Amino acid sequence: MKNHEGKGERGLAPDPNMETGIEELGGKDPVAGSGDESSLWQEFDAIARMMREDPAPEPPADLGERVMARVRAYRPTPWKVFVDALLKPRAVSFDPIRALRAPVSGQECSFYFIMVGVFHAVLGLTLMAGLRGFDAFPGWVRWQPQIALVTAVCMAAIGLCLLKDGNLALRAARIGALVYLGFAVLNGVFVSLEWSVPVSAYASLLSALIGLPTGFFLLRTLQNYGKRYA
Amino acid sequence: MKQVDEGEIIGRVLSGDREAFADLVDAYKGPVFRLAFRMTGNDRDADDLTQEIFLRAFQSLGRFRLGERFFPWLYTLGLNVIRNYLRKAQAVAGEGFGAGGPEAADPGRGPAEAAMGRERSRRIQGYLMRLSPAVREALVLRFYEGMRFEDIAGLTGDSVGSAKMKVYRGLEKIRAMMEEDGFGDEES
Repeated sequence: MKNHEGKGERGLAPDPNMETGIEELGGKDPVAGSGDESSLWQEFDAIARMMREDPAPEPPADLGERVMARVRAYRPTPWKVFVDALLKPRAVSFDPIRALRAPVSGQECSFYFIMVGVFHAVLGLTLMAGLRGFDAFPGWVRWQPQIALVTAVCMAAIGLCLLKDGNLALRAARIGALVYLGFAVLNGVFVSLEWSVPVSAYASLLSALIGLPTGFFLLRTLQNYGKRYA
Repeated sequence: MKQVDEGEIIGRVLSGDREAFADLVDAYKGPVFRLAFRMTGNDRDADDLTQEIFLRAFQSLGRFRLGERFFPWLYTLGLNVIRNYLRKAQAVAGEGFGAGGPEAADPGRGPAEAAMGRERSRRIQGYLMRLSPAVREALVLRFYEGMRFEDIAGLTGDSVGSAKMKVYRGLEKIRAMMEEDGFGDEES
């Protein structure tokens, strides 16, 4: 290999045509050009050829079997199974209007249940922060944050079950949606019965306004989801 | 392996048939082993890393998007496993880590030529091992694996221009190392 005097490692500025020149290295045709730069590229080309022509090492014959032995012995932890289920790539479309009309997948249904769960979790935490220190509230009203959080957990659990995309999950989800719908009405009634102030009527109305459409929506999407099993 | 077959095999693995994974191992153990070998410079580490890469692939298969090509996904995962290994090994062994070259069999040559080829192979691998892992990776993918720069960029997360620059820098450094050793003059 020739020596490039005064062109040490530091002295080699990237060629303006580096991007095209580098593409051709190690190819069939020698790198074109003239003078010192050409010589440099030819040296690069020689190195590239040495690498290209270097015989490829073969893996040991029993490597595949050893890999499979480890694969067979592998037992995922419950946490890993849970994380994988959450991170599994899914194509979820968010189109509630279409979900009311056309068949939907279990994954889409699951998404709606989990979203309802998230809503109730936020509601529960907000109420928990807002109602702190108000011991004067009657019993049922005081329990509203906890009720919202339990609802959130139940909805999220149903949503995760629906990810399995099975008939059993569908039945459980139907029961869950019916309970949710009934409880939304009853909750409003209990609040207005226990809390004898004018504002209780609004609280009752709000509970029904949120719960009834949500419950009907979930039941309708489950109905459309169930068409796949009909 | 055809993409259709891959999708079917992956589907079978995901539905609980672990033995189906053997088809993927057989199809890709060669390229994965070679990548690990070029990056680490010895066959024992390459063997361990190949096992680790396939085990990780099996564990993460649930996150693979069906319909995409399996090999680039496996290769990217492999590069990450190798990078982590090199980072840890470098931290433990210091600068001297990986220096020295492997020997690859080449049954197609005569004894003298084969010996010269082995020596050349050992030296080039030695130079590779003295480069930073990122630059080494670019050279291995480009010249040993014969990949296009677009594919290298896709696998490493670099831009095409950056991948080319790494290859250029790598060649530049190898050339300087060869000059120091007088390796090129011996060759000619």
